[in-house]
Amino acid sequence: MIRFENASVTYRGGVSAMKGLDLEIGDGEFVVIVGLSGAGKSTLIRAINGLVPLTDGQLTVNGHDVRSLNRKGMRALRGEIGMIFQGFNLVDRTTVLKNVLMGRLHEVPTWRTLLGLYPEADVQIAARALQRVEILDKAHVRASNLSGGQRQRVGIARALAQEPTIVLADEPVASLDPPTSHVVMKYLQQISRELGITTIVNLHFLDLATAYADRIIGLRAGELVFDGPGEAADENVFRDIYGRSLTADDTMAKQAAL
Amino acid sequence: MLAFSVFAAAKVGFSLGAFGDVFTRPNPVARGLKNIRWGEMFSQRSRNAFLETLYLAVLGTLGGILLALPLSLWSTRIGNPYRIPRMILRAFNNVIRAFPDLLWAGLFVLGVGIGALPGFLALTFFSCAVMSKLTADTLDGIDLGPVEAANAAGAGHTQMLRTAIVPQILPAFSSFALYSFELNLRASVVLGFVGAGGIGQRLNFFRERGRLEAYEQMWGLVVMFFLVVFVVERLSVAIRRRLV
Amino acid sequence: MSSSASTQRPAGARVELPSKALDTFRLGLSTVVVAAVVWSWWSLDIKWGRLAAAPERMFRLARTMFSDLEWDKLGHLLGQMWASISMAWIGTLIGAVFALPLAFLAAENLVGRPVAWITRQFFNVIRAVPEIVLAMVFIPVFGLHPMAGVLAIGIHSIGSLGKLCYEIVEGIDRGPIEAADAVGASRIQRLRWAVVPQVAPELTSFMLYRFEINIRASAVLGVVGAGGIGTDLTEAIRFKEYGTAGLALIVVVVGTIAVDIVSGAVRRRIVAGPGGTSRGRRVDPTPELPDALAP
Repeated sequence: MIRFENASVTYRGGVSAMKGLDLEIGDGEFVVIVGLSGAGKSTLIRAINGLVPLTDGQLTVNGHDVRSLNRKGMRALRGEIGMIFQGFNLVDRTTVLKNVLMGRLHEVPTWRTLLGLYPEADVQIAARALQRVEILDKAHVRASNLSGGQRQRVGIARALAQEPTIVLADEPVASLDPPTSHVVMKYLQQISRELGITTIVNLHFLDLATAYADRIIGLRAGELVFDGPGEAADENVFRDIYGRSLTADDTMAKQAAL
Repeated sequence: MLAFSVFAAAKVGFSLGAFGDVFTRPNPVARGLKNIRWGEMFSQRSRNAFLETLYLAVLGTLGGILLALPLSLWSTRIGNPYRIPRMILRAFNNVIRAFPDLLWAGLFVLGVGIGALPGFLALTFFSCAVMSKLTADTLDGIDLGPVEAANAAGAGHTQMLRTAIVPQILPAFSSFALYSFELNLRASVVLGFVGAGGIGQRLNFFRERGRLEAYEQMWGLVVMFFLVVFVVERLSVAIRRRLV
Repeated sequence: MSSSASTQRPAGARVELPSKALDTFRLGLSTVVVAAVVWSWWSLDIKWGRLAAAPERMFRLARTMFSDLEWDKLGHLLGQMWASISMAWIGTLIGAVFALPLAFLAAENLVGRPVAWITRQFFNVIRAVPEIVLAMVFIPVFGLHPMAGVLAIGIHSIGSLGKLCYEIVEGIDRGPIEAADAVGASRIQRLRWAVVPQVAPELTSFMLYRFEINIRASAVLGVVGAGGIGTDLTEAIRFKEYGTAGLALIVVVVGTIAVDIVSGAVRRRIVAGPGGTSRGRRVDPTPELPDALAP
């Protein structure tokens, strides 16, 4: 479970990306966060696994008080949380399998990592993750030889290989075309339901948000302005969140039609 | 720049007339070039010296690799988040880059005596200096995405270096290692001048003999050696092209 | 932690990974490298036990050299370092003066292929010989005098700079050349107005880069007696005057670093142009790879 209590993040230079956030996300929920660029979506997601530290308030994740974690504790926490990135963040020069094995790093001792000798059990976990996103046949292909959608699937597999309880996805489909985006979102939804993983996704395409989210959270200028089930979010709600009328850029279908 | 040149020229005792001297004054060393004695290359002692040169170059490059990889990683911000050790390593890097190869050899001969060991140590530090500078430059341009991913997955610092950074620099680093090997091969020719082993010792031996035949033998060695270096370099270029 | 997570998932049957293709190039290369290392290790006559003692002995050496610096020799040593720097500078100049015109002879876009090839081989040969060996040729002529070093460095630099130069010359923009032709300029005029302005900054940059390298060479040439601070260093070592040797070493290192800094700053300025930054531009030429017979 994830709980923010009056949480704030103020960057150096005075920019306030999170203002007094109170939010609770239960286990197994599939949550989508929407908002304009700069509204604080990235900050919220990165606060959960400690990549962005809170400057005020409290954050409890899976029973841990994130602000008080030392390095070892932080590593352990991050091992429980998988993350998927807009730019995929794969090591292009190595194979898909090696990339996915990065998800096992928190469990594999350092000497084994240095020599590249991963235990069979961990390789199996990685293989199963690849199977789940249906890309097992490409296990020994160089990551740079894959398409965008395939790369994101590898990113998902990497997160899955951690056997996480929470998965964070920061704009996972922003670099993908519409059909591929749907594929990726379906995988995320499926994984969340079948494995009971709490999933939090940042999106800026509203139609995707309503299509897949159980729960939508709207942020504006660092503040929570909407929190409700996916069905309750219609155009008016989004206008509120965005603080302006919607444009074609805000929905994937309309933008694709452009 | 011009003023500097004038000063420098004066200091050196430069004179255009000296140019002419090059061709007129008797020069036994150069004359040795005319009748090169090729046989010397195949004498037992020279052959051993030559092989020693090769082995020194190989092991010296290996030593350099082992030192340069951690050294270059730890002198960048991403590899070493602690400011003071990083600055120290950077300064260390800059200092060792200022040492010419022969200087390393001379120092190690002084410290550990003559033979192949100082040669090995000298080449190790020399090639470490070369490789870590090149690698540090490469490290400035890597993709930090995988680094973030590794950290987000709970990887330790060393694990992150090994999985997110090393694979990115490996082709370039291998190329630098091969280049360093070439440099070491050439450097090892002269290491012997200060007693650090290799074919330089034989060259020095002939040079100090001072007689014409000795020079002819010396040049024979030199030319043969550089033919080998030439071959190695051709191979190296081809390999390096495949690596990157 | 992972145990609690894995009880959530059904234990799967063993997953078969696709087979891995064999990369013969990498495999072959790795084998050769490993074999070379093992062979060298085995054949080289080094008492590796001495390696363990080495750090301690080097520290002792450092202590001997640096604990008792002969400060009164400082003036003389600085003078000698200055001589080495001058030696390197003049040598570099000689290199540049001869390399540039010769480089034009090596550029395929200016002369024919055979001429270019011959000139390039000439560069390769004189580049391959280390300065010290060249110095040995000049010592009988000049005696133990810096001139020998100057010429050794100079000739070697002709080869180095020549290669760098002709690569630049080949990379220039044809536009200004054609424009010059269209206006009816003579060969020399074309050179002066269309070619030279394009290549001047980079050439100067390379010349300075070569200068930095030559500093190191000049410091060392003293070993064979060609003058400069190398002679002082060698003599000090030979006569076991460790204090002097230590000071000389410091002078050499500091001097070299100083030259590097100044030269580096000037080079950055040149590459960037007045008032610009050199961010993103390569300031150092790619490592000198003597690829003889490169097309």
